[in-house]
Amino acid sequence: MTIPKAAALRRVSLVSSSVLFYAVITLFLVSILLPLYYTFMAAFTSGKQVYSKPLDYVPQSLGLERWKTIFDELPIWRYLLNTFLISSVSTVISLLICFMAAYSIARLRFPGANVVLIGLLISSMLPWVSSVVPLFEMYQDLHLLNTFQGLLVLYVSALLPFTTWLLVSFIKQLPVEIEEAARVDGANFVSLLWQIVLPMIFPAMATLFVINFIVNWNEFFTPLIFARGEGTKVITMALFDAQSIGGASQYYQNWGTMSAVAIVATIPIFAITLIFQRRITEGITAGAVK
Amino acid sequence: MSGSNSTFAADQTASRTVSRSHHRATARRLLLAYALVAPVVLWRLATSVYPFGYTAYLSFFDHNPMRRSHEYIGLDNYRTMINDPDVRNTITFTIFFTVVSVTLQVVLGLGIAQLLNQQFSLRGFVRAVNLLPWAMSAIVIGTAANWIFNYDYGLINDLIWRVSGFRPLWLTDVTNARFAVALTDVWKNTPLLAIIFLGGLQGIPAELSHAAKIDGAGRFRAFLSITIPQLMPLIISMAIFTAVYRVLTFDIVYALTAGGPGTATSLMSYLIYLQAFRVLNFGYASALAMGLFGMVLVVGVVGFMLLRRSWAKLD
Repeated sequence: MTIPKAAALRRVSLVSSSVLFYAVITLFLVSILLPLYYTFMAAFTSGKQVYSKPLDYVPQSLGLERWKTIFDELPIWRYLLNTFLISSVSTVISLLICFMAAYSIARLRFPGANVVLIGLLISSMLPWVSSVVPLFEMYQDLHLLNTFQGLLVLYVSALLPFTTWLLVSFIKQLPVEIEEAARVDGANFVSLLWQIVLPMIFPAMATLFVINFIVNWNEFFTPLIFARGEGTKVITMALFDAQSIGGASQYYQNWGTMSAVAIVATIPIFAITLIFQRRITEGITAGAVK
Repeated sequence: MSGSNSTFAADQTASRTVSRSHHRATARRLLLAYALVAPVVLWRLATSVYPFGYTAYLSFFDHNPMRRSHEYIGLDNYRTMINDPDVRNTITFTIFFTVVSVTLQVVLGLGIAQLLNQQFSLRGFVRAVNLLPWAMSAIVIGTAANWIFNYDYGLINDLIWRVSGFRPLWLTDVTNARFAVALTDVWKNTPLLAIIFLGGLQGIPAELSHAAKIDGAGRFRAFLSITIPQLMPLIISMAIFTAVYRVLTFDIVYALTAGGPGTATSLMSYLIYLQAFRVLNFGYASALAMGLFGMVLVVGVVGFMLLRRSWAKLD
């Protein structure tokens, strides 16, 4: 008598635990997706829809008027191009110079290699905000405010410590024998770096490219201080331009245009994240373990 | 790079011939090594180390580009800082924000990692959704949160109202505004911790958890007595890392509350930004920047001591 009873009990507890499991999963999905849906809805509903009280979760009327407003009033494409150029060029430059430095630290065993590594770590612990005032004055004197070059220098700088650290640990994991064999075959140093080492750590470099690109795309503090001008404005800064479209008195309507800009700023990043999901996850995990 | 082509040829002949050319080869090899490291090192020196040192220097000056003043005033900026009520509020909120946000992130991150580690259909989809807040810009999230916590039309108050018929104040109430900032930050950053803890879970040897199942330990007991101790060094190092970045947070406060009501949700970076770029008190902002560095240092050192202790326990 007792055995079937126990089995039945176990089945009940299994079913209830899997119900609980899916309830928790649903709660998790809703808590991430509902705020996104809410923001999305604000940009696509027309008229006064956004400010219904209580909220209409299924919008009565969809419209593109807010999209028309932001693309008419703001040079959105220009801002997107600026963001793309600054993010990608700074990521490429940082990867190249970090690759050179990392190879030197990992393989050439020069006196002071550890000092360089520790120094990079320490410099990454100096708060960025704590370096900004003298940099601002320096940029003013050198006429680098509101320039691409000026912005690039700062974006690259922020990426250097972690990228170098990760690449050093990746290069150290490569088998030395392959490089030694290439040297015996008479490969010179440049072709050793470009044709032997680089292809071997290319997956790591690609992962770092994707992650660093996303980080740069989302950057706000640096352009806020150093690039407020139209010519170099990035998309995260444009959020606050959308706020003032139509005058500050119409605060509630501006929420719709701000949401539209928020979505423009986010869609490219979501696309990249979903395409490279696996790569990003592996990169973050590897970064945390090292 | 043309010099480096010959380095290797020299390197190879050096091993076969006299030691003089060998010395020359090592010298060139060293030169090459330093040349490769130089761009990264110089770049960081110019844009991080040097300006940081200069900020320390400026903190002893009354330096204001509007008034065109540059006068040595000793420790006056630091004296002002100690007596500044804004600084006191900022430190209070920094402690609140760091403790609440890090605790929630670590606990929820562990829970989500555990969820994402189970076998179930749609797991790939749920893992992808988890990445979305990580990928979004903090400034976008802060801006959206400003509306989500709106008293009349915000998502949060709508949900609370549907359940309880009551609408709390969020951004104009001191305590609730503080929780609003912390919750927004938790929403954005917990996914990152979840991914990292998931990696940690996958690294735990399967024999350990199997042994626990044979022992008849319940799932929750096994999680507490096996999983958590195994992950402890990772948990502590991520908690330190997360805490340091909480102390440095700027974007969410800028977009969500602008430090308000009053200075109830002000963080050090935000205060420095206001002093430097709204009031143009470069000298005072520099002293605050040194204060911020001190806070980061305290968090880092305390955290590192905890980490060493947890390593010792595991061994």
